[in-house]
Amino acid sequence: MGKNISAIVAHAAVILAIIITLGLVGAFMSGADAGAGSEKFTGELEQGAVLKVLENDTAKRQGYFDELLAAFNEEYAQYGISAVDANLSESTDLEQDGPYGYGPDVLYQENDKLMRYVDGRHILPLPVNDIECFDEVSETAWKAFLADDGSGSQGVFAVPVNVQGPLLYYRKDLLPENWQQEWDDDGDGICDILQYWTDMYRFSLERREESGGKQFGYMRSFLEPYFSLGYLYSYGGYTFGKDNTDPSDIGHSAGEAEKGAYIIKQLAGAMDERCIDDSVTTGAYSAIASGEFFATITTPDVYTMFVDEMKAAGYDDEFIAENLVAADIPMLPASGDLTDESQGFIPCKMMGGVNGYAISSYTNYPNAALAFVNFATSYEMISLRNEMLGISPARQDVAEEVQGSSAIISNNLAEGNIVVMPSIKENAQIWTPLQTLFQDLARDAYRRPGEIKYDTLEKLKQALVDVDKQIYDAIFTLA
Amino acid sequence: MSNNVSVNVKEKKANPFVSLGNKIASFFKNLPSTLNKKLAGAKEIVTQGNGKVCASMCIMGLGQLMYKQWAKGIIYLLCQVAFLAYFVLKGASDFIGFFTLGTTESNAWVGIEGDNSVIMMLMGLLSIVAIIFYIVIYIANIKDCYSIQCSVDTLKEPKPFKKEVGALLNQKFYKTALALPIVGVCVFSILPIVFMIIIAFTNYGGDIVPPKLIDWVGLDNFARILTLGQFAPTFFKIFGWNILWAVLSTAINYFAGLALALLLNKKIVKGKTLWRMFPILAYAVPGFITLLAFKYMFSYGGPINQMITEAGGTAIGFLDIDAGWTAKLIGLFANAWLNIPSSMLLATGILSNMNTDLYEAARVDGASPFKQFVKITLPYVLFATMPVLISQFISNFNNFGIFYFLRGAMYMDGYFLASDSDLLINWLYNMSINNNYYSIGAAISIIIFIITSVISLSVYVLSPSYKSEETYQ
Amino acid sequence: MKKKKLFKPQKLFNIAITYLIILAVCFVFLFPILWLVLASFSKTGSIYSFKGFFPTEYSFDSFVRLFTDTQMYNYPKWFANTLFISIMSAFIGTALTILTAYCMSRFRFKSRKAMMKTTLVLGMFPSFMTMTAVYLMMTQFNLINQQWGLILIYSAGAPMGYLTQKGFFDTIPSSIDEAARIDGASNFKIFLKITLPLAAPMIVYTLLSSFVWPWSDFILPQLLLKNKDLWTVAVGLMTLPTDEFSRFAAGAVFIAVPIVIFYFALSKFLISGLSAGAVKQ
Repeated sequence: MGKNISAIVAHAAVILAIIITLGLVGAFMSGADAGAGSEKFTGELEQGAVLKVLENDTAKRQGYFDELLAAFNEEYAQYGISAVDANLSESTDLEQDGPYGYGPDVLYQENDKLMRYVDGRHILPLPVNDIECFDEVSETAWKAFLADDGSGSQGVFAVPVNVQGPLLYYRKDLLPENWQQEWDDDGDGICDILQYWTDMYRFSLERREESGGKQFGYMRSFLEPYFSLGYLYSYGGYTFGKDNTDPSDIGHSAGEAEKGAYIIKQLAGAMDERCIDDSVTTGAYSAIASGEFFATITTPDVYTMFVDEMKAAGYDDEFIAENLVAADIPMLPASGDLTDESQGFIPCKMMGGVNGYAISSYTNYPNAALAFVNFATSYEMISLRNEMLGISPARQDVAEEVQGSSAIISNNLAEGNIVVMPSIKENAQIWTPLQTLFQDLARDAYRRPGEIKYDTLEKLKQALVDVDKQIYDAIFTLA
Repeated sequence: MSNNVSVNVKEKKANPFVSLGNKIASFFKNLPSTLNKKLAGAKEIVTQGNGKVCASMCIMGLGQLMYKQWAKGIIYLLCQVAFLAYFVLKGASDFIGFFTLGTTESNAWVGIEGDNSVIMMLMGLLSIVAIIFYIVIYIANIKDCYSIQCSVDTLKEPKPFKKEVGALLNQKFYKTALALPIVGVCVFSILPIVFMIIIAFTNYGGDIVPPKLIDWVGLDNFARILTLGQFAPTFFKIFGWNILWAVLSTAINYFAGLALALLLNKKIVKGKTLWRMFPILAYAVPGFITLLAFKYMFSYGGPINQMITEAGGTAIGFLDIDAGWTAKLIGLFANAWLNIPSSMLLATGILSNMNTDLYEAARVDGASPFKQFVKITLPYVLFATMPVLISQFISNFNNFGIFYFLRGAMYMDGYFLASDSDLLINWLYNMSINNNYYSIGAAISIIIFIITSVISLSVYVLSPSYKSEETYQ
Repeated sequence: MKKKKLFKPQKLFNIAITYLIILAVCFVFLFPILWLVLASFSKTGSIYSFKGFFPTEYSFDSFVRLFTDTQMYNYPKWFANTLFISIMSAFIGTALTILTAYCMSRFRFKSRKAMMKTTLVLGMFPSFMTMTAVYLMMTQFNLINQQWGLILIYSAGAPMGYLTQKGFFDTIPSSIDEAARIDGASNFKIFLKITLPLAAPMIVYTLLSSFVWPWSDFILPQLLLKNKDLWTVAVGLMTLPTDEFSRFAAGAVFIAVPIVIFYFALSKFLISGLSAGAVKQ
């Protein structure tokens, strides 16, 4: 009996000893490995590198990406490096795929998305001083990609390519025929409807009235915070404190932001119920084409969709080029009341973003990737990108040469009227609370008299305070 | 059939809670005796086992080889070698890693490849499974060797290997057949769930995600949830609606499916295959696509509101922020639309399986069609589909897609990060996936899980189809 | 005579009501699908250019583009991928489910009831919480970007839904097995030679239901298939931009075709498939 027990005990002891000693040795060894780190950007191009590049779908659809790859591969064939389409979804999450080797080497995404990767060190700080476009890109655009690089100083994590910002799109032929007399009080030869929200509001109400509720002036769903936050910003609201870097200070209710909320409610009242959900967002293209809407606000990358719809509605190219116009966002009344122009006007701010190229920390070819980024942000490629995709270049030298919408956006960024989306990770938590708020505000314009929630500025202020608290809760209560 | 009905009646009379209580009581009463039996068996082997059994205790398969049971001996020996190799190469460090969860943080900027705590947790879990598996095989090995010893001692020929394999296709066929499904379910269903459960005891989530190192925090997450003032009111509000939703949607889907099956089963209906095709169409289009279609149809710009405004009415916000019960009802409708087809198919099958004699008898007695349905059809169908009904209840309880696709996320007044139509699972999604708090999410799902599984298990255990499976055999 | 006369209008009324309800039900089920079909034939991409329920202009264009314009959205490839994954998972999953259900119905062993309760309870866990673990596991097994990885998960998950099939086997009288056993057949043989043929209709039903799951799932493929050329239809459709709505609708309509064909080809089996009646008594 004793023999048997000792046999079992011995067996168990041996197995346990193996597991514990080897396990501890293994744990100790893995700790000893650490410490050796090396500079990634040595300047030596990796021979035989094949870079997987993630681009956005629009660039692929319009054929720009193919041209970029072809040009790069021709130029760099002599160094034995080439680039290919990563063939991944444009919304690929590097945090999820990168560490396991399934991510791209170079990625083109929005600033809020790219900067989320910095905390986990998924994208590399770049030696941007050597990049051709370093001096050409505006300060504001670079700022979107700045973050602590681990040594306590600020590093740059992506190279800006283009600036995203909203513009007003309208049908010139639908302006009132006598606008020079009736709609140009300031006498500057530009129709006031396009310059001041107060006039746009009045025009929208008139157009709706005259058509018996079938035609509208300005239409745009308020559901998307990207397009609605600007009204709060214009009156002193902000998303995060310290230049959108401090998540503990949430300020959508700061300043007189409630006036912005009131603007949203008033504008919603000049539309119809479709502004409450996102029904009009994708429908806007055909509604502009059919003349149901006079104007809407959207980003320039969808310009081609308006053109396609206009063509489908039977207009020729010449008519479209003449009458489908992109313009700057109108000015807001300082009073916050769209029927009161007495206190003058303030510029209408809008939320925007900067898209850029970043390099994955998990790439085997950092130098080749840097070469690609340098090439893709060169003067020629950015000009071509602007030509083919209608983007607003972050490079000032290209922006100066191009006209129209790109120039307006670049200018707005420089003047601070485009507020770049926060680049910190916590930004992911602002969307749902804000979306709910904007839906609520738009809904309020259509509530029956007894049910109206926000009939005073104080109540609007309280709603904004509540939203800030919700965002704070989402970020901190569970953290 | 009549037998079945009488069983049903009997069940109703006994108080279900008393019988459940008795069951639990008897389980605990029997626990010591079952344990004693096991101990006695172990004691017998240890005291009676001879040298060859002892050899098997030292090295698996050795005793079998000494008894000239070559095939079995070699298999056990191979197991021993394979496990040792695994432990030496990987298992040992995986096992220790499970407790440390890593010591070096990786830094991709300077090329330090450190520890990935989440992977370590998973691999550690696998090593624990391997150790348990090893113990099971080790014990089987000793038992096997002892049983050879017993047969040899009583001068019987030990069972030849061939025969034992043969038994796996006969008396123990279930062992062979279930091996693969069980392994599959363990690896791809149970292991991820266990992983999720242990995450509830770590600080994984928020800022602390790989490459940052994760730590064990014990019951901190649970303590935080229970002390969070905003948590309980929202939890009970959503929980109440969730129960109501699960009951209503299960009942609607089930009875509407049954009604549709009865309708299409009527003798006077011609072209049954064709008529049944319409619900099948609903089955054939992926659910998320139909839900997106519903969302559009009930939106302000959708066809329904267009018709209303053209007729001179004002547009109705079926799903918007003020919708309240309208949104909930549309949710019920959309869910019914998606699920009635399969429940109709099921009911059709079960109905055609029924014994029609009973109806004849009922007709002779002059029972109305409604009475026939309540007294004959319903008890029968309920009995036959009770397990399916319970699993439907569970899937409705955890029906994530409906309100996610129909309404999207909204945070409403009076709710903590949730909207009035959200189910617990949507709320969980808002808090854990949307906001990245995995460990808190895991802790909440454990709490939800305990509550719901107790409810549904008691219903299942008390259901006649669980108690008397053999009624039809 | 008198009785017959009274009975007739009542019967007519009954027929009328029955067909009325059937028509109403069919309309409700058809409505969204019909709208999807109409949308797939609309000329403009956007749904919001519809006049009420109907598109403003019709064309066959979106179907043509669905299959020819494959540079960005390779629908034919996605379709082939989905077909492969679904068929494989359906076959393997069905085999495992039928085996599980048969064993749970026919054998009585120690841990049986515990297993039945466990499988029930497992369904209560929110599945998205376990997705992290599934993803990590697949990265360790090197099964990301592998269609077989998906097939493995679908097939392994299929036996969890064995309850319907078990219910079916429960209604096959065990006297048939017993007779064969007296003749000396092993359990394996009984399963192969007697139970399986009897369960043919049930197998068809199981095949269909385990085919539909991978067919319409997008969560797992999205998680495990990174490369666009490996995507399934559901994942691909989700990435279509909103201005491609008619193509989305065309893709959604076309994806239903195999299942409808499946239904018509096997509808006889299907209906009697769930009815164990064929073997009862």
